[in-house]
Amino acid sequence: MDNTTSPEKRAFYQKLGEIAGTENVLAGEKATAPYIVDGITPQAITCPASTEQVADIIKAANKSRTTLVPWGSGSRQQIGPCLEAADTVLCLKNMNQVVELDASNYTVQVQAGMVNAELQKQLAEKSLFFPLDPLYLETSTIGGEIAANANGPRRIMYGTVRDLVLGVTVVTPTGDIVHTGGKTMKNVAGIDLCRMYIGSWGTLGVIAEAVLRLFPLPEVSTGLYITFPSADDAFRMVGQLLNSPLTPSAIELVDSVAGHKMAKAIGSGLNDSEVLLIINSEGVKDDVARHRKDIASLAQANRAKGTIALEDEKASRAWKLYRDIHQTMLAGSPPAFQGKASVPVSKLGDMLQQVKKISATQGVEIGMTAQCGSGILYTYLVDDTDKLGRITSELKQAAASLGGFFLIESAPLAFRKETDILPLRDDYQLMRRLKTEFDPKNILNPGRLAGGLY
Amino acid sequence: MIARSIIKELTKIAGKDHVLSDLKDLIVYSYDATMRQELPDAIVLPQSTAEVSAIMKVAHREKIPVVPRGAGTNLSGGTIPVKRGIILEISRMNRILEINTADRRAVVEPGVVNLDLQNALAPLGYFYPPDPASQKTSTMGGNIGENAGGPLCLRYGVTSKYVFGMEVVLADGEVINIGDYVEDFPAYDLRGLFIGSEGMLGVATKLILHIIPKPEASQTMLAIFDHLEDCGQAVSDIIGAGIVPGAMELLDQNMCWAIEQGVKAGYPTDAAGILLIEVAGLADTLEKQVQEISQFCQKNKVREVRIAQTTAERDAIWAGRRGAFGSVARICPPYIICDGTVPRDKLPAALHKVGELSKQYKVLIVNVAHAGDGNLHPLILFDVNNPEEEEAARKAGADILDACIAMGGTITGEHGIGLEKMEAMRHMFDQADMAAMLKVKYVFDPDDIFNPGKMFPPEVKAALPEKEGAAQ
Repeated sequence: MDNTTSPEKRAFYQKLGEIAGTENVLAGEKATAPYIVDGITPQAITCPASTEQVADIIKAANKSRTTLVPWGSGSRQQIGPCLEAADTVLCLKNMNQVVELDASNYTVQVQAGMVNAELQKQLAEKSLFFPLDPLYLETSTIGGEIAANANGPRRIMYGTVRDLVLGVTVVTPTGDIVHTGGKTMKNVAGIDLCRMYIGSWGTLGVIAEAVLRLFPLPEVSTGLYITFPSADDAFRMVGQLLNSPLTPSAIELVDSVAGHKMAKAIGSGLNDSEVLLIINSEGVKDDVARHRKDIASLAQANRAKGTIALEDEKASRAWKLYRDIHQTMLAGSPPAFQGKASVPVSKLGDMLQQVKKISATQGVEIGMTAQCGSGILYTYLVDDTDKLGRITSELKQAAASLGGFFLIESAPLAFRKETDILPLRDDYQLMRRLKTEFDPKNILNPGRLAGGLY
Repeated sequence: MIARSIIKELTKIAGKDHVLSDLKDLIVYSYDATMRQELPDAIVLPQSTAEVSAIMKVAHREKIPVVPRGAGTNLSGGTIPVKRGIILEISRMNRILEINTADRRAVVEPGVVNLDLQNALAPLGYFYPPDPASQKTSTMGGNIGENAGGPLCLRYGVTSKYVFGMEVVLADGEVINIGDYVEDFPAYDLRGLFIGSEGMLGVATKLILHIIPKPEASQTMLAIFDHLEDCGQAVSDIIGAGIVPGAMELLDQNMCWAIEQGVKAGYPTDAAGILLIEVAGLADTLEKQVQEISQFCQKNKVREVRIAQTTAERDAIWAGRRGAFGSVARICPPYIICDGTVPRDKLPAALHKVGELSKQYKVLIVNVAHAGDGNLHPLILFDVNNPEEEEAARKAGADILDACIAMGGTITGEHGIGLEKMEAMRHMFDQADMAAMLKVKYVFDPDDIFNPGKMFPPEVKAALPEKEGAAQ
């Protein structure tokens, strides 16, 4: 704690120990180093053990105007606009238990600090799974994934966070414990606060518990890895697939910049203009067999160069290679900066061409992966920090002209500090009022999203 | 009453033919599908967002309550103007603006009738999954206001999953866009708050919907049981095995009898209960699904499983279900519709409890349920001229909802709170929960212009810090 700390704040830190136990309050350079966020070193880290403790901490923070950063595993703390302040990290890693697994209702209630992969492990023992598969799921917490509205490839079959989370228990920025939703599939009682908390980035409250929708583990799953001579061929096929009654569980595309190593590892190759389309199907055996057959013939009709079909274990190994692309790119040297475009599904091919054009005119390599059923394109800007500003603004323009948007999800701190992540829209004032009403002292994640609002 | 000068001003905005204030018109708009009746002061039928915005500016300036209304089919008293004021009826805004199958989107005005949208999508091989029983008349705007469900929601999910964005007019006439045509715009999920807000936050003037390709094949099954509990258990077994049919509806003997008096659906009238099961998916695997479902029915002592052989047979089976509420109303118009919902495996227990309460209160209860979702619709019948029986029916209804809560369920799965379940809100939520909801209400509508006097028990509102309201 530095000398500028006010007496109220000193009292707050004192109180933290009383609430969570002194062993669950960390301070000092070494302890706080892993929690440096947006260049700010928090004064303390506290790891409460219960929803009630979270409420007490937030009440105390409110009194002393101490800003809090809700924290799961920290996997997404680099996304979005920079925080304005971060006095104390409120880390939920000790709240990591299953509260109730109701297998016959296909629901589970978990504490928010439960790690996604750990939950899946426990569910698999009952032949169940939770279909949310965002990046970082090996480390990221359910609460964090809900707060960040973090979705993955399986969204095309199972829906997004808002379709899979039936209810959350939150602690509001003034310390009230609020229950939303429940454990029924349908529920329209009152205003739907559960949805408000999804994607609110910890700015309207701290998610303490969640009720999740589960599904039986599929009988079989299969992955088709199809190489196309050009992106146009691949997107033509995707259009036909999406217009069919088939229901694949993922339709992912990767270009040669991002995917050449991975393609090699699965025994294929990827030349410069080629792309790899990965189509997963899962469910009962006959259903999956039909998918495999139809998808293979669609591929052939669209000039596919080659198709590798993988099942179960082999499919999951290849899938992991694909999933690892993201981290490999970000951990590269120099590290890549990740951006995300969202455009109408039918415009995804156009967006990819725009990125290629910008990449060529700027003379930089840009790797790409895409969620083809959702209109989402991830870009990995491989070199040249100097050109990042210009490239970003061109990508924003390109996405906007197609009816979508582009934003940078990870970039150097200096860049994030001086760039507007997103333009404000005509719903901004309403969101501003929502934030002020729920968090009048602006203590939860101040500045986290666009417009200094969230 | 609102002043003549205001009526004149509204007439200037919407046109002479689209502002109604004669007593006969006020009476027409004084009720919905529930039993209460209150007169509005005027009805306005705008045709554009600009007109809606202009109307709201007047209402806001004068602090006149406004109740948005589609076709008025809601089942919770949601469109009854309990504080008088203006009924804003959106039925003239009924254009389908865009259907883009390649993007899986449809953009529509809120007055489009659900079935009209389905009929426009069907030739393209697409559909919009939420299919409330009222779909022949209910509007998309109303569906969004109530977060409507329907039989197909078992497989596909409810309205909230299929609305990506909307244009909304706020209480002061400001027009904003919430959500988006594309996915994942990082922002507060205002559309999530808006959907199911029962006309209390604003009025939607344009909707961006998600549409999907129709399944390749489907079949309709009718399973007939001699014991209602077996019927419920079969549902639990099917869901428990991980089978997700397109729809799975349960109807008890009284309901079958009532339907057969009205719609000729071909239901047996001597069986304790029936299940209507719609199986959907790829043609190759449909037969296997039908077999598996049949086996679970056999295990639970089914009397007979019929499979619709022709489109006509299939339409008849579904027409019966869709006409369920109407058929009961023909025989005994006053009834209370419960909408309690329980965790999926608690359906047999919930049905049993409904039977017990029927005996305890000596009231006739007729059952229909979206069984796969645990969403019950017991209809509690009573003689409107017998106050004691009416009181008994109300008590039975309240007890059913409490029983649903006790089983881990909710007081409404798809019909909304409206006026009917305001009291039950307190059994479901505590003061902090409702205070948080009211914060949202006042952020959208600080003056309580939109649909005042609904959803929250008056004492809960009174316990909050003072707010100026239109409907004091």
